[in-house]
Amino acid sequence: MARPGGAAAAAKRPVAEAGPGAAREGNPLLPAMCRVIKITDETPDVKTFRIQTADGAKPFDPMPGQLAMLSAMGVGEAMFSVTAKGEDWIESSIKRVGLLTEALHGLSEGDMIGVRGPYGNHFPVDAIKGRDLLFVGGGIGLAPVRSLIRYALERREDYGSLDVLYGSRSYDDLVFKSDIFENWPAVCNTHITIDNAEERWDGHVGFVPSYLEEKAFSPENRVVVLCGPPIMIKFCLESLMRMGFSKENVITTLEMRMKCGVGKCGRCNIGSKYVCLDGPVFTMSELDGLPDEK
Amino acid sequence: MELKKDRLLEALALLREGSDVALPLPADDGGEPAFRLWDGVQEPFLGSNTSLPPKELLFPRSEGMYGYNLKTGELSDILPEARTAVFGIRPCDVKSIENLDHAFLEKGYVDSYYRARRDGLTTIALGCSEAARTCFCDSMGVAPGDAPGADLMMNDLGDAYSVKANTEKGEAVAKLWEGLLSKGGAKAPAAPACGFSVKADDSLPDRLTARFDDPMWDSLSKACIGCGCCSFICPTCYCFDIGRENRGACGTAFRCWDSCMFSDYSRMAGGHNPRPSKKERLRNRYLHKLAYFSQRYGATLCVGCGRCIDKCPANLDITRVMDMMEGVDANG
Ligand SMILES: Cc1cc2nc3c(=O)[nH]c(=O)nc-3n(C[C@H](O)[C@H](O)[C@H](O)COP(=O)(O)OP(=O)(O)OC[C@H]3O[C@@H](n4cnc5c(N)ncnc54)[C@H](O)[C@@H]3O)c2cc1C
Ligand code: SF4
Ligand code: SF4
Ligand code: FES
Repeated sequence: MARPGGAAAAAKRPVAEAGPGAAREGNPLLPAMCRVIKITDETPDVKTFRIQTADGAKPFDPMPGQLAMLSAMGVGEAMFSVTAKGEDWIESSIKRVGLLTEALHGLSEGDMIGVRGPYGNHFPVDAIKGRDLLFVGGGIGLAPVRSLIRYALERREDYGSLDVLYGSRSYDDLVFKSDIFENWPAVCNTHITIDNAEERWDGHVGFVPSYLEEKAFSPENRVVVLCGPPIMIKFCLESLMRMGFSKENVITTLEMRMKCGVGKCGRCNIGSKYVCLDGPVFTMSELDGLPDEK
Repeated sequence: MELKKDRLLEALALLREGSDVALPLPADDGGEPAFRLWDGVQEPFLGSNTSLPPKELLFPRSEGMYGYNLKTGELSDILPEARTAVFGIRPCDVKSIENLDHAFLEKGYVDSYYRARRDGLTTIALGCSEAARTCFCDSMGVAPGDAPGADLMMNDLGDAYSVKANTEKGEAVAKLWEGLLSKGGAKAPAAPACGFSVKADDSLPDRLTARFDDPMWDSLSKACIGCGCCSFICPTCYCFDIGRENRGACGTAFRCWDSCMFSDYSRMAGGHNPRPSKKERLRNRYLHKLAYFSQRYGATLCVGCGRCIDKCPANLDITRVMDMMEGVDANG
């Protein structure tokens, strides 16, 4: 396979691509009633919901990293990454943590779900063309990354080597098992780890940041996409710095409390940026320019 | 042109034939004067600006967004159909509407609820002939005697009001009032001096953000009790929460005013809060007003109306932070 790359490609900076420019049609706060057509149990507290409009179409066509505001009618709405899309569906993986996510977990296939979006910017898919990509995820943090992994796999020749390094607390807590154990190992390099040894697990044991350093990925022409719990991000970033990566080449996604999703309600600001509109995708060097309120 | 003061109610009654009319009115129960819908009889309260801002005309404290049926899954948009003329709105509050326009109508998404109310609103401003002790609008780019953003501008000339249309909507009002207007009003009286002044020039956003980590935020926020009053009475504060009310099989999603001064405003699932104490929250409010909004929209989000200074139960004063920035340069 031809591997584009080299100096010209490396010179392109993977800055997060701009949020929406032109005004959108219609009422941006009004959800569309859609249907859950498939539910997959990922872990004891994460389920993946495949969603379609009532007349069998894709609710919208998101770019990798974009968001969907999902609602359980009469309960509430919250923001989730769109982790995958198909011809006529989108998917989000949802961890049960509170009121709304509990209600969503109570849905069955065929039930209705409110959807609005797509929101936010997206991974800089063009700026990282020709680069080697290293995806680092922890726990449910693989959800936003998965949309980009799928995108890159569909356009395999546009990108260099692909490595997925993913970890969770335990085997049970690993999400997207069919992807990480079956689909992806066939087409890219996968490195899976769990925090503590288990009898049925013969893979790597240890935390994501130390596994990352152990693997000694070269920073040469490589972009890292890093998503997971804040503490994991912090330690992984320290590891990556030691390994010689620059912050410009480390991309992450942020989470803030959100209500409107369209830059109006004021809730998700970090300084003058709104994560729902200007994010959720930022490079680590862009984050350095924002106030420390993440 | 001018309108004799004794014909004001007649003029307002004419307006009322084609739309709702909102005026600064005292509360029936002796509560705070506010912009309320006029019953066609009451005398407007024009002695000073209202304690409550006019933002409710465009952004009600609570408004239905859409209805839903839990059984059928049907959704129905509740878009307002408001046609309102507001008389007696002051230059600072006219400026605050320009700020709300930036927030609700720009940057990719247009807020449909705001848009509908805004399109239906005609602003008839009244210049101030006296400033309150807490007024500092002229430091914030507002002229107490003039509101260029209003559809129609009026000034107190003693026994009459000058009348000047700034927009097509304003001209339509002037035309409606044709029979009541007489020649005159060419020269507006000198505007009053504000209660006090502060230094808020173009470098303020940079000077403030450079002090993000300054210990001054601890001392400034010490007395704050997190009541949120400052946001509710601020004409430019526009944050909202979205909630739901269910009744049997039906329900309504609504939005209502919120305040970044509340502790659960930015608290996330799992309990993490990026602004965990009142220090971070006050800093965010002040910086949003005086730095972030300018960086995003090119306008300051404080119009110098002085309401928050007047009403804060803990005596906090947004101008203190501006004073503290005197002599501080943008490099920290
Ligand atoms: C950009 C973005 C992307 C996201 N992507 C995903 C994703 O792909 N998958 C995913 O699963 N999640 C994602 N999230 C997170 C998701 O939005 C939240 O998990 C969701 O909002 C939780 O809503 P809830 O109603 O279930 O929880 P809530 O009921 O709001 O609260 C959950 C937690 O807060 C606690 N809590 C509730 N009320 C209080 C209180 N008054 N005081 C103290 N604690 C309280 C509860 O005990 C619980 O632990 C994303 C968030 C953002 C902003
Ligand atoms: S009105 Fe005063 S005490 Fe109340 S939240 Fe605002 S600053 Fe704090
Ligand atoms: S911050 Fe205070 S002075 Fe400034 S516009 Fe708001 S209420 Fe008025
Ligand atoms: S969620 Fe409302 S501004 Fe971002």
